[in-house]
Amino acid sequence: MAVNKSRGSATNIKLQEIVRTCGVESVWDREDAQTPHCGFGELGLCCKNCNLGPCRIEPFEGEPCYGVCGADKDVISARNLARHAAAGSACHSDHGREIVHTLKMIGEGKAPSYQIKDEQKLRDLAKELGIEPAGKSKEELSRLVAQKFLEDYGRQDGEIAFLKRAPQKQQDIWHKLRIVPTGIDRTVVEIMTRTNMGVDNDYRNILLSAMKVGISDGWGGSMIATEVTDVIFGAPKAQRAKVNLGVLKHDEVNIIIHGHVPLLSDVIVTAAQEPDMIALAKQEGAEGISVAGICCTANEVLVRRGIAVAGNFLQQELAIATGAVEAMVVDLQCIMPGLTKVAACFHTKMISTLPKARFPGMEHIEFQEEKALEIAKRIVEIAVRNFKNRDKARVNIPKDTMDLVAGFSAENIFYYLGGKYRATYRPLNDAIMSGRLRGVAGVVGCDNPKLMSGGSHIEMVKELLKHDVLVVQTGCSALACAKEGLLVPEAAFKYAGKGLQEVCAAVGIPPVLHLGSCVDNSRILIACCNMVKEGGIGNGLDELPVAGAAPEWMSEKAIAIGWYVVASGVFTVFGSPLPVLGSKNVTDFLTREIEEVVGGKWAFEADPKKAAHLMIEHINKKRVALKLRPMMYETSGNSMEEKKIV
Amino acid sequence: MSNALKDKKKVVAKGLKILCDVKKCVACKTCELSCAVEHSKSKDLSAAVSEFPLPKKRRKVLASLNKALSVACQHCKDAPCVAACMSGAMHKDESGATIQDKNKCVGCWMCIMVCPFGAIDRRIEEKIAVKCDLCPDRDDYACVTTCPSGALFAGTVDEFKKKIKKV
Amino acid sequence: MQYVIIGASAAGISCAESIRSSDKRSKIVVITEEEFPLYSRCLLSYYLAGSIKDDGLYFKDKDFFSKNEVETLLGVRADKIDPKGKAVMLSNNKKVAFDKLLIATGSRSKMLGIPGIQKKGVFALRTVKDANGIMEMLGKSPNVVVLGGGLIGLRAAYALRSRGIDVKVVVKSGQVLSQILDEVSAGMIQEKIESSGIGIMKGLDAKEISGDGNVTGVLLENGNKLDCGLVVVGKGVEPNMDLAKSAGIDTAQGIIVNDHLETSCRDIYAAGDVAQTRDVASKESTINAIWPCAVEQGKIAGRNMAGDTVRYGGSLGMNSVEFFGMPVISMGITKPPKGAYEELVARDDKGTYKKVVLKDNIVRGYICVGQIDQSGVYNFLIRNEVDVGRIRSGLLHKGFSFASIAELIKDNKEKFSQEEFQDIVWTY
Repeated sequence: MAVNKSRGSATNIKLQEIVRTCGVESVWDREDAQTPHCGFGELGLCCKNCNLGPCRIEPFEGEPCYGVCGADKDVISARNLARHAAAGSACHSDHGREIVHTLKMIGEGKAPSYQIKDEQKLRDLAKELGIEPAGKSKEELSRLVAQKFLEDYGRQDGEIAFLKRAPQKQQDIWHKLRIVPTGIDRTVVEIMTRTNMGVDNDYRNILLSAMKVGISDGWGGSMIATEVTDVIFGAPKAQRAKVNLGVLKHDEVNIIIHGHVPLLSDVIVTAAQEPDMIALAKQEGAEGISVAGICCTANEVLVRRGIAVAGNFLQQELAIATGAVEAMVVDLQCIMPGLTKVAACFHTKMISTLPKARFPGMEHIEFQEEKALEIAKRIVEIAVRNFKNRDKARVNIPKDTMDLVAGFSAENIFYYLGGKYRATYRPLNDAIMSGRLRGVAGVVGCDNPKLMSGGSHIEMVKELLKHDVLVVQTGCSALACAKEGLLVPEAAFKYAGKGLQEVCAAVGIPPVLHLGSCVDNSRILIACCNMVKEGGIGNGLDELPVAGAAPEWMSEKAIAIGWYVVASGVFTVFGSPLPVLGSKNVTDFLTREIEEVVGGKWAFEADPKKAAHLMIEHINKKRVALKLRPMMYETSGNSMEEKKIV
Repeated sequence: MSNALKDKKKVVAKGLKILCDVKKCVACKTCELSCAVEHSKSKDLSAAVSEFPLPKKRRKVLASLNKALSVACQHCKDAPCVAACMSGAMHKDESGATIQDKNKCVGCWMCIMVCPFGAIDRRIEEKIAVKCDLCPDRDDYACVTTCPSGALFAGTVDEFKKKIKKV
Repeated sequence: MQYVIIGASAAGISCAESIRSSDKRSKIVVITEEEFPLYSRCLLSYYLAGSIKDDGLYFKDKDFFSKNEVETLLGVRADKIDPKGKAVMLSNNKKVAFDKLLIATGSRSKMLGIPGIQKKGVFALRTVKDANGIMEMLGKSPNVVVLGGGLIGLRAAYALRSRGIDVKVVVKSGQVLSQILDEVSAGMIQEKIESSGIGIMKGLDAKEISGDGNVTGVLLENGNKLDCGLVVVGKGVEPNMDLAKSAGIDTAQGIIVNDHLETSCRDIYAAGDVAQTRDVASKESTINAIWPCAVEQGKIAGRNMAGDTVRYGGSLGMNSVEFFGMPVISMGITKPPKGAYEELVARDDKGTYKKVVLKDNIVRGYICVGQIDQSGVYNFLIRNEVDVGRIRSGLLHKGFSFASIAELIKDNKEKFSQEEFQDIVWTY
């Protein structure tokens, strides 16, 4: 499909120019150099799994039709896709593991820099896991709960704990398909085994195992990460904050935290607020210390502490190009190795922190949870002392900032929707049943220079809002729309259809709800479970009038997320196709056949408006099947004319 | 595209050729894919693989011993295919290129019988021959532009030799 | 300089074009019996089948003569050549003088001496007139008998069968296409043709064509009679040499020419189906009545006539044909005599049959049924008499291609001096 390609906003383009004048390439330049990308790779017809190859399958006419071992295009593309899913799932799950490990250390008194900020949640989780919380200290509960979750990672029989949260209908489907994950790590190992040369050569079988590794992410690693992060760092609170590169300060030390795991970022935020650090900053000529985030770690500290967000994935090099960043400290995932080249042109210090995430050219300061605050302060000090090296003549902080409201969660949504007196999902379900709201859409994922550098999210969400679809977002997708001003209550009056406007006005919420980081996509699952439990709009997740989308996905993590969303029965649209189009069978399985087994499926559509309408049509279909009332304010085409049907 | 021929574009009679440096060809077959996509209806890879009939590439990566060579019609001066064509479909145009008039081709395969490069293929659904047409819908050549290793080159032989000597 | 060309088919037109490309000013006159020349007789079976209309028969544009400033005398026969007086006498009693003359009178269908051959409803398939004559009779859906299992006969049968006509082919030899294919490939073609409903009767010949004014049947040598309303004779062609013979020009099988396509008479050249040349594969002096040979000979004769000195490398018998989706290409010596030749054979499960005939490590013959796409490379090997000793084992390999012989070219710069070859192998 022909795609609209764009390099982003005018400000972004200006900063890309600055990068270029330093003699360095930005991600957009590198993408141009890689275009056209290898067709065999794009189509999923390249296999490098063994030394009989590397092999490729002819996509048009002629030979070769088989790899040397005899695998055909169905097997090859299925195997590749399963490995992607395993890698993505492993990232989320490993992230969860680190958080759980820290919970254990807190319980053992070995991590003084961290506390239990949401003790109630800890007790609720304990109960859910079969641990009686009464009479136990929070330290003891920390140890016990962490132990249970760590068991989930290494479990060899039984099933992962959070699977029970899913509606019975979904659980029955997964049992029938034999894709219930036993243990989180095991599902990843199994895929590596299956996709080895000469093991699983049945494409449907392979794809079912990919679904399993997705489930072990969404209902396993990611969900654990979300819940335990809430326990340690506190539940999200809806709050106003600011987003985009304009949040960088002219007069303060700017530290950017980039990566994913809040174990690092949250402590950096704390360290930067310590009085002695601020005093040091003043000594060095700065008015203070400003911490801003990039990518998911930004979302983590945004939704809990209202910390400003500098930008999303594609802006990481541009942030440095503002010339105003003293230090960028990173942990793992979505960090471009190209950053060091850009940083070398400025005074910015790049600091890596994890042994499993090394970058040549970055100063490595190993982060340890035991000494978290101490190390964080060391890092902050490096940044503070770098302030004097900032060349004021080369500072180009754009004026662009935007307000956003972030910090919604599956639990607190219903407070906002119903207020303290009716704190349930009833108002949400009622709004959907009555036709004021068409349904809910989750628009998530990365921004991609192969597409509109974030613009697709904006166009898609605007189209959904126009049609009275409540939108929930996470990750870089949420930030892309936030930069456009969609994540504030006022946006309802500009962009939402009449029904959605009424709901937002009554409750005071934005029409787009920011649910957090990418592991927090598990919040969407929990919210959907609550909607089912509340009743009236379906007995299973597959019956809900909801849809998902990742219009500019980039990461393998997005593939894992797609798998667990589809496995849970939700229709999902991806912008670029998955790398499987070279196999008609695999493509057909993902976009049609799979719906018959799990109730969810993929669609591939790069045009964000068209994709939005695929989701709207799907939601409409679900409404009809549930025999819900017709939409209160049916919009027609592009105009906002309304006919109120009572 | 070589500087000397930028204005004259596709003037085969003045020496334009598409040549392949075997020392750089990594047999990635991007030239085959981009040729097929250029000759598809949608001009997009993802859609082209689902077209009916499938688009046909006119360039082949051939392997021999340890080397790979990307080959297509050489637009020979004394083209044997033009001599062999009994319907007048294969002919030379003003630029010196060997061009096929698809409407006149009856699929007798005489051209295939005489092409020393094996550069002509059969389109079985339409029963006509196909070969490199120098990408009439673009200013450049799909294969040359997309070659990731710089093995393919469009220009005169002298320019090609100079370019290789430089490296 | 006045150039005169007798005959306006492949060789004659190719010669005219060739002369004009180097001599922009001299007069060129083309004499032809055809009223509407410039059509390709090889396309007649496609015309007969209905795959092309009559305007698709032309292999050159209608303005070819005017664009190339060639004077034409259409519908006129050349009756006599005066080699000493350098003039051609025409059937309209006019005379045309020449400085250089090309005889490209082609060949005619052998109509045999069978009794009844002149009856109405008996046709060759050599001219548009023949084809139109056949088509006029198809309205009555007659049964058709084709005499001869060669290319013309089988192509005529194929064309008529495509129109739903009942066709039987009477073949004298033990196999179809006996001049160009071996038994195995001929068997594959026969099976394919028969599966379409065409009846093939081998080892038989026609004794008499029966009927009063119109054909009603064919009486075979073995006494059987085939009822039919139309007979197509595909019993081969013979060269139109009378003109040359009566002018005292040396002939044998055809008009004898040297390496520059000049006859025994100075300034008189011959090309096409009427010319006898050296066969590259068999080394014999023979006629290869094949379209590409005619075009090439006409071109080189033209260059020599225009003052250049170009050596003709020799002709090669070669054919390409497809029946009901089964293509077959053959070249050179396909049925070698036992002894000095080697035959390498390969088949696959997709219906491909390939045979390469070698003598002293030089390819002399080739047959391919099915996967014909790299056939031109073998053609190159035969015409250039390339020693393939080094690559013998790969000759029938599925992946055999130009790259397989590129190294042979590279090591032989003098032999393969043609610029296209040298340019492409330059970086090896």
